[in-house]
Order: sequence, then structure tokens, then C-alpha cells
Amino acid sequence: MLKYIAKRVMISVITILIILAALFTMLHSMPGSPFNDEKITEVQRANLEAKYGLDQPLPVQFGNYLKAMLTGDFGVSYVIQKNMPISELLRARIPVSIRIGLQAVILGSVIGLLMGILAALKRNSPIDTSATVISVIGVAFPSYVFAMAMSYFIGFRLGWLPLLYSTTEAMRSTVMPTISLSFFSMATVARFARTEMVDVMGSDYMLLADSKGISSFRLLGVHGLRNALIPIVTVLAPLTVELMTGSLVVEQIFAIPGIGSLLVSAIQFNDYNVVLAVVFVYSVMFIAVMLAVDILYGVIDPRIRLAKEDG
Amino acid sequence: MKILKCLIPVILVLSILAGCGSGAASEASAVPEADSQAQSATAEGAEAPGGDYKVLNVGRMSELFDMDSTIATEADCLEVIEAIIEPLFVTAADGTPVNALCESYEMNEEGTEYTFHIRPEANWMNGEPVTAHDFVYAWRRLVDPGTASEYSFMMEVAAVKNATPIISGEKPIEELGVTATDDKTLFVELDRPVTYFLNLMTFPSFCPINEAYATEKGTEYALGAENLLCCGPFYMSAWDVGGNTYQLKKNPTYYDADNVKLDEINFQIIKDPQQTMLAYENGTLDYVRLSGDQIAKYETMDGFTRIEEGYLWYLSPNLNPKSEEYSCGLENENLRKAIALSYDKDVICFDILQDGSTPADFAIPNKLAIGPDGKDFRETTGTYLQTDKEKAQEYWEEAKKELGVSEVSIELLYDDSDSTPLIAQFLQSEIENNLPGVHLTLKAQPKKSRTELMQNREYQLGLTRWGPDYADPMTYLDMWTTGSTYNYGEWSNEEYDKLIDDANDALANDPAARWEALKQAEALVMEHAVILPVYQKGTAAMVRPGITGLAFFPVGVGTIYKDVDVNY
Amino acid sequence: MMTAKQYAASVEREDFVLANRHDLGVDKVYGSQSFWRDALGRFVKNKGAVFGLVMIVLIVIMAFAGPALSGYDYRTQDMAQRNLPPHVAGWESVPFFSGVSTDYSSGTPVRTDMYELKGIRDVTHIFGTDALGRDQFARVWTGTRVSLYVALVAILIDTFIGMSFGLVSGYFGGRVDFFLQRIVEILSTIPTTVIVTLLIVVMKPGLASITIALMITEWIGMSRVTRAQTLRLKEQEFVLASRTLGESTPAIIFREILPNIFGQIIVMCMMTIPNAIFTEAFLAFIGLGIPAPLASLGSLISDGFKSMTMYPFLVAWPVIVLALLMLSFNLMADGLRDAFDPKMKEM
Repeated sequence: MLKYIAKRVMISVITILIILAALFTMLHSMPGSPFNDEKITEVQRANLEAKYGLDQPLPVQFGNYLKAMLTGDFGVSYVIQKNMPISELLRARIPVSIRIGLQAVILGSVIGLLMGILAALKRNSPIDTSATVISVIGVAFPSYVFAMAMSYFIGFRLGWLPLLYSTTEAMRSTVMPTISLSFFSMATVARFARTEMVDVMGSDYMLLADSKGISSFRLLGVHGLRNALIPIVTVLAPLTVELMTGSLVVEQIFAIPGIGSLLVSAIQFNDYNVVLAVVFVYSVMFIAVMLAVDILYGVIDPRIRLAKEDG
Repeated sequence: MKILKCLIPVILVLSILAGCGSGAASEASAVPEADSQAQSATAEGAEAPGGDYKVLNVGRMSELFDMDSTIATEADCLEVIEAIIEPLFVTAADGTPVNALCESYEMNEEGTEYTFHIRPEANWMNGEPVTAHDFVYAWRRLVDPGTASEYSFMMEVAAVKNATPIISGEKPIEELGVTATDDKTLFVELDRPVTYFLNLMTFPSFCPINEAYATEKGTEYALGAENLLCCGPFYMSAWDVGGNTYQLKKNPTYYDADNVKLDEINFQIIKDPQQTMLAYENGTLDYVRLSGDQIAKYETMDGFTRIEEGYLWYLSPNLNPKSEEYSCGLENENLRKAIALSYDKDVICFDILQDGSTPADFAIPNKLAIGPDGKDFRETTGTYLQTDKEKAQEYWEEAKKELGVSEVSIELLYDDSDSTPLIAQFLQSEIENNLPGVHLTLKAQPKKSRTELMQNREYQLGLTRWGPDYADPMTYLDMWTTGSTYNYGEWSNEEYDKLIDDANDALANDPAARWEALKQAEALVMEHAVILPVYQKGTAAMVRPGITGLAFFPVGVGTIYKDVDVNY
Repeated sequence: MMTAKQYAASVEREDFVLANRHDLGVDKVYGSQSFWRDALGRFVKNKGAVFGLVMIVLIVIMAFAGPALSGYDYRTQDMAQRNLPPHVAGWESVPFFSGVSTDYSSGTPVRTDMYELKGIRDVTHIFGTDALGRDQFARVWTGTRVSLYVALVAILIDTFIGMSFGLVSGYFGGRVDFFLQRIVEILSTIPTTVIVTLLIVVMKPGLASITIALMITEWIGMSRVTRAQTLRLKEQEFVLASRTLGESTPAIIFREILPNIFGQIIVMCMMTIPNAIFTEAFLAFIGLGIPAPLASLGSLISDGFKSMTMYPFLVAWPVIVLALLMLSFNLMADGLRDAFDPKMKEM
């Protein structure tokens, strides 16, 4: 197992390096330097580029960047918050995104799981139909539609929840973003949970377990759910990363200072360092989650672990 | 029956959703009581003596990029800098400069030397007095090539001695024509008299910076509220790193603190205009800018305010394409005129934008500058390139003959900010309909890329804007001289260059003649259709009734908060 | 009388050929037919899937006929008819299409008949008009066409790039597989947002760039599934048999393996489509979508979004069409999955 993890980590490091190099070249070939504004002259721009070392050849810049990165220095922002070290910018923003993303995933998967199981147990009942309707709505509408609708009706008309994110009442002000982001994961989880549970419930070993007279709770939790979880975890993993890295539009609607909106403004403003840093964080998170999922597989289903070690 | 069956689950879903919402809300309302109403009135009860604590909540569209007065360029940043660190003068409601940190000043006869006496009672918040040395330090910092400030050219505009060679690195910063005679006396030498020098002094780039403090903070200076030393009516009390809020509070040590009525200003960044308005309506925000369609809705409400802006939006044709790729016939003057006359500017301003923008039949905006005769520049000049669709067709016929073609296709470059996409689409439809044979394709780019393409002259026709930096027509006319970076179309005209040269130099001591030269220069630009003006931007805002003293300006700093009072 | 010898001489080789030669193949042909018929049967029985299919067909028809039906095109502007609510001449009593706009801002609803006000009672705008007075009905269906184009591109990319990638990677294994899988890993680690946005900024915004962006990002899921299936199949007896019989590699891949994973491929395609359409909508949202004045569902939503509280009908219709499209593709994908392989998981 350890050997396997070590191998995966090494490949991941190389992957991240390649990604950074590719992005670095791409960013620098984009039209527009970070320092170009309606009012800037060429001399000033040259001055600025020299100040930040952007006038050096690309490989040198990349080398410098990597060297600094190893010491935890992601450079400074050129535009979004001029001269602010990016590590600080990220330190402020990442927790917000992770928090809302995790809340959404947890809410979504818990409700989705319950819905899916209930629907599977009471097939073709009104519960089943409503679960299907919800999951269908959840995948059919983009999350910003829910966000807009909720902020208008719940936030504005009814005035139950704050319209905008605020650090002083983080809990209340993240309720609406969390719910609107959770729909998609809820719908996906519900769909998979239902199919899997129907499948598992119909299998021979469940029949056997049932006939042995185990309590239905144990039957469901230990024998049923455990087997249904694998595909759910598979779809949930990338979704989690996606949600944790922030959703641009939902962030915009609720004025959430997350990394989704940071990334898009950084791309639009050509704030190279910020783009690189955000992508780096995303990649690390993605790879880490994927690794965690693989390990989790083994916990859920020992057969998978064996297969991996063989291979 | 079937339909009913289908409806049951839907209703179920909705009730679950509603249940979710109400459950969360009731649970949460156990936290501070009546929070939403209290929020706008008193953010921090502890600091609200007698409930007379006055707060203004402002909605913003973009982040606060920078608070270093020598680096900042964005309008939002300049406003905040002006509120926390005052320059020598500030703009009064009528647009004239009034004393701020400067108590009195003398000028020599030629207008090339100024002596400013700084208020003896003006202090930084750490108790140190604001001195002439602070100005010298800040001004040198502005022109220092090491700072690489985008606004260093303001020092050249002000014609402060040696500014140009210092910026280009030919002279050391110590040779800048500004010296501290003593702690409270600032002496400035100019290369030539500048009629609008005092107006320039209201610009935040000329704010003082406490040298000891800035040196101590080093690269951290102005990065965050705790790294700023203020001397203005307010100080920065909070600025979340990368966050969406920042906050100013009243500066008790300000020399004129008795006249500052506001205790706190909260700024909230919301990029979604829809949400901004909801937040205004439910009382979270008190002063917000309106955009696009919303104006029709709020126009008749109390608190609707029109703000004049100096921005001129215009089409810039590429007159000197560097390669075939960027050539499309716009080198032809008649084609340019045909296009300039073919679109209905009234529709753009009054139907599409509705924000108080006005049709532009000129190159120098309204209410930008007042001449030696005491009248606005526009009052004594003509109008040019007015919409005239028939005339446009005549020009187009002419152009076709001269170019020897029956059709041209032109790519219109624009950025995706705000209402620009609508304008671009309207222009396309108008030009194509009124000039049969002219085909326009649209190319949208993020603003940075759009500017870059235009500065590299890699475009055909661009929709762009220019905002004035100081109250003189020169802030625009300087653009179209040969070799200017902003002369996107690369127009070159000897007569024009000479007029601008004279206005800057030979005629500097004869304001009336200078004014005439500027008028002629504008006429030249318009007659050759170097730019095709579209509209002068206006803005509409909602200012909660009960707020007084918010002052808006088309030039320089957009909003001044010092005199704001709130009585809801 | 024929002697035995004579008889033997008269026997022709052909006499030993089986009488009904085509019967020989019956077993095999029938077998594969039954699979398809079986799948079809299962698909038709699935109400959701059939509903999805019917909706998709309807939407496709509307996407092509819709603009013509309205009598307007997507780009003709009419400044006299800006932001009008939906209205069908003669349907004044029908809610949503009466041309009456209701303003709730003062607390009590204020109704204004916009068409009466302008004296254009006989004008029909089924979905209303936008900020430049363009017919929203024509724009919505033109936009649907763009979204459908994106869907089509996604399918093609999936099958050509994703499928071949997965087949090659899975079948050859070893070093080829290792190399190809690293490519997949790298591409899947960069956020789609970043790749797509950068590409569009570097290239000219437009359908071509969107296509290329999709080309880089959308096939990965497909290649994973194909690879996994190929890995499973290539060790099975029938593949081994063909190989022993000396069949060429391409023949094994295309004749033996491909038909057996066809079901999964179709299902995967269906699942990529919603993704691709959402990606396009996202690009429209950050202003890098389809160049104006052409519209896509995404760009219509993001434009309508800006004036949602003022003119809700502008955002409502494209959202409804988009949701229907998503829904239909999802339902159909589910139906296909169940039809082709009721046991299929991990999608």
C-alpha cells in the first residue's frame, strides 16, 4: 500500500510540474500583459515588467518561479491586489471556498443518499417519483438558477437570510450558497444511490442475509449501503474538488470571496501568478482527493485493494 | 387525473425545499436578534454612543486593487485614497480646487514657481505632523522608475521641473523640482506655467506619504488596513485580504474633524448588478450604481441620482494598418465619415443606456474644462460628425469610388464590460443597415486584451473610451499627437502636432490664444474623423434619501465623502 | 443401370454443400439482432427515456424551424419594441402570453399592457423581445441550435478521440498505456475552466475555439471507460480465439472488441453532452462565448440574468429550454444505459 501511494505521489509531482510549465507558457503567450491599461505607455510597461522580472526569457522566469514556490512563495499579485503576496490572498480565500464546497457536498450527499435509499426501498411509490423529480431537476438546472431564485425569494422577498456573504455571520450567509450548490451533488448521489441500492437489494447475498434474520437496519447499513457506496464515491470525488474550488457564478451572486471568482478575474486581468497559484492548489486538491478515494475504495471493499496490489 | 398524479411529487419537492429554508432560518435567527435591520444602522453597537453613529454602506463593482497613492490608478482606489489621505487641495462641489492640506500658497508672476504652506494643525494619525518632506518623498516616489508608476505622467502633465528625464531614468529623483523649504513649506518649480496646476493638485497621485512609516513598512506599505498611515477625514479600519469588503472610519485626529459627520463607511463588493439592487432595496446598501435596464425601473424613485462622467466612448479606426490583416479601407476619410454619421447616437443614449449618457458630437466632453472666458469648452465650440444617415450614404458612395470597391468588411473590437456588448451589436446593425455593403463582424475580448491589441495596432476598428485625468482639453487632445501611445489609429498630422506643441509651450502664457489653438485642434481631429465619437458616459446611482453631501465629479476623483451626512 | 463405380464418378463435390447455406449464419446474425431488439424493447418500455427522445426530437425540430415560424430572425433589431413581454396576437386572455407586464416593486402588482401602450396589438412575440428589440423566440431557437451543435461536437469528439484513445491505450497496454494514461492524468488535473478560458483568450472567440476547447477537455471520461472495458475484454476467450486464428490487430479491435462495448460508448456520449452544453454556457457567462449577435442558450441566460427582476421572461425561456434539453439527454442516457446493459455501473 505504502509503495503504491509513494508511486502515485511521485507521478503526481511530475504531473503538476508539467501542468505548471504548460500553463506558464500559455499564459505568457496570451495577448495582454498584466500591466496594460488604457493609460500606460510603453516605457512604463517596460519598467514594470523589469520590476517583476517579466522581461527575462521564459525558462528563466519559470525556473525562478519554481525556486520561489518551493519556499512557499507564490509571488505577488500584479493586478487584483497589487503587490499582495499570493500566499496571503489564497490563505484568505481558500477556506471560504472549501467551507462552502464541503457544506454543499455533505448536505448534498446526505440528502441524496437518504433520498436514493428511500426511493429504492419504496419503489414506484410517490416517494420514489418525487426523488426522481428532484434529482432530475437537480441535474437539469445550472446551480446559479437555484442561487438566483433563492436569493430573490428567500433572501429578498421573505428576508429570512442575508443576501450577501459576510464574515461576521458566516453560518447564516452561507446557507443559500450551500443549498444552491448542493443540488447537483444531491441529484447525482440520489440517482446513483437508487440504482445501486435496487441492484444490491436484489442480489443473492442480501436475500441470504435477510433470510438469516438480521435486523433490517443492519441489513441496509452494513450489507446494502456498503456495496452501493463505491460508485457513489467515484462520482462524488471530482465533484467535491469542483465544489471546493468554488463556483464562479454562485460566488458572484452572493458576493463570496472564494477562489472561483478569483481565478476568473485573474485570467481576465492577466494576473499570471494568481492563475498559476490557483491552478496549483486545484491540482493538488484534485490529486489528493483522487488518492484518498483510491484508498477509500480499499476500506469500503477489500477486494479492490487486493486487486491493486496484484497489479 | 394523470396530471394531478404528476403534480403531487412536484408539490412535495417544493414543500421540502420550503421546509429546508425555513428550518435553517429559524435556527439561525436565534443568533443576534433582528440582525438584518440592525446591520445597516449600527454595525458595532459598542461604538455607537447614543445611537447617533452614522454609517454609509456603499456597493462597489470591483475589488480595491491598490491603496498606495503612487501606484493606484482605478477610480475606486483613488476615491478611497482621497478620503483617507488628503492632497494639498480637494475639489469643491462646484469643481474648483479648495484648500485641504495646504493652508495658503504663493505663485510667482510667470506661474512657474509655487510655494505651499501646509496646515500647521495637520497631523498623521500616529501624531506626527504632516510635513513638506512627506510631499517631497511621495512625489519623488511617484516619478521613481523603480516604482514604475502608471500615473507618473501626471508629474509631466503638471510640468514639475525635470519630471520627464527622471521618469525615463536620465536624472536622479533628487532633481525633481520639489523641495521642502522647512517642515511646513513646500516649494515647487515648473518647467512652464500650467494653467490648471491647482486642479491637478487635487489628484490623489499628489498625496503625501510619511517617509518614516513607508520605509519602516517597506514592501508591505499600503497592503492592508494595518499598513496605512492616514491623515484625511477617515482612516481605513478594515480591508480583508482578497475579501469583498473594506471599511473606513472617522479619523478623530483630522484637523477638520468637527465637520466630518459620518462615523463609518462600509464598502461591499458585489459584481452582480441584480444582487446589488436587491441589497439596496432591503437596506443592506445605501449608495449603489445602477446599470443598464435597471435604470428604467428606478428612474422615478426617490434617491435616483444622475452622475456626469467625463468618459468619452468612441470608435477608433486604424488609419495606418501595419499589415494587410488590419487593413480594411478605414484609411479612407470618406468611409470613416460615412460610418461616423451612420449610427443613431440618441438611441444609444436614451434607449439602450438610459443612464444619463449623452450623444457625443465632439472629441472633448462636456463639463470637462472651463476656459479663460469662464465658459465651458463646449459652449464656445461647434459640434462635429452629427448623425445624418443620408449624408452618411453620400460619403459611402464617395468612399466606394475612391477605394474602387463595392463592399468592405470591418472587424469591430470591443471588450465585454458592462453595456458595451449591446452598443457594439447596435452599431453593427446600424452601420450595416444604413451603409449597404459595409459588413461588420464583432470581436469581444477581455478588457486587458482589447487594450493590448489596440496599443499594438493589431485591430481594424475598436470601441474604446478615454477618461480625463485633469480638467483641461489637453487630457484628450494630447492623445492624437504623432507617436502617442494612445493614438491607436496612428494618425499623423503636422498642423495638429504644431497646435498642440504651441498650446503646451509658446502659448502657455496666453490663455485665450491657447484656448483657440485647442479648439482648432479638436476641429482638425473631427474633420478628419480620426475618432468617431459615440457618447459621453453618464452614470445613474441610487442614493438613499436622507444622505446629503455626496459630491460627484466628472474629472479626477469621482466621489468625495468628506461632507456626507446621513439622516434616515 | 449404373454401377457403383459409375455412381461414384458422377458424384460432384458440390453435392456435399449444405442445402440451405444461409441458414448457417442464422445463429450468429440472429443473436446479435436479438441484442439490439432486446435493447430497443427495454428502451421503449422506459417511459422517461422515450420522453427524453421525443423531447430531443421536438427541440431539434424547433431549433431549425423555430426562427422561421416566428417570422423574425435572431439579429434584426427594432428599437421601438424593446423588452416587450411575451405576447401572441389574439391570446390576450392567456396568462404569460398576454403581453401584460406586472410590476411588483411598489408592493401591489401594477399591470401594464405593453402592446396596447405602444399600439401594436397585432404584433406577436411569443417569448417577448430583448434589450435591442430582437425577437426572443427566434433567438432562443437559434441559440438552441448552437447548443445542439456543441452537443454534436461533443459526441464526435467522444467517439473519435476518446474512444480511439481508450481502445489503443487499453488494448496495447504496457508502455503505450502508461504514456497515454499520463496524458489523461495531466489533462484531467487542470481545471476545465482554466483550459477553456485560456484557449478562448489566446484564440479568437467563436464556435471554432469552443470546439477546440471541448476537444481538449471532453473526451477524457470516454477514454477512461473505453480503456477499462477494453482491458476487461481483451483477455476474454473470444478475443484470444481471434488472435490465435491470426486476425490482424485492427480487425480484433474493430470487429471483436468495439461491438461489445458499443452500448457503454453510446451511454457515455449521452452523458458528455450535458457537460459540453454547460461548458459553453459557462463561457457565455464570463463573456467568452459565441460572438454577438449570434446567441447560444448560455449567452441568452447570462444576458437575461442581468435583468432578471425587471424582465423575468428574458431569462425564463432559455432556462426552460436548457433544462428540458439537459433533462432529456439525462433521461435518454439513463434509458440507454438500462437498455444496453442493465448491470452497467461506474458511470
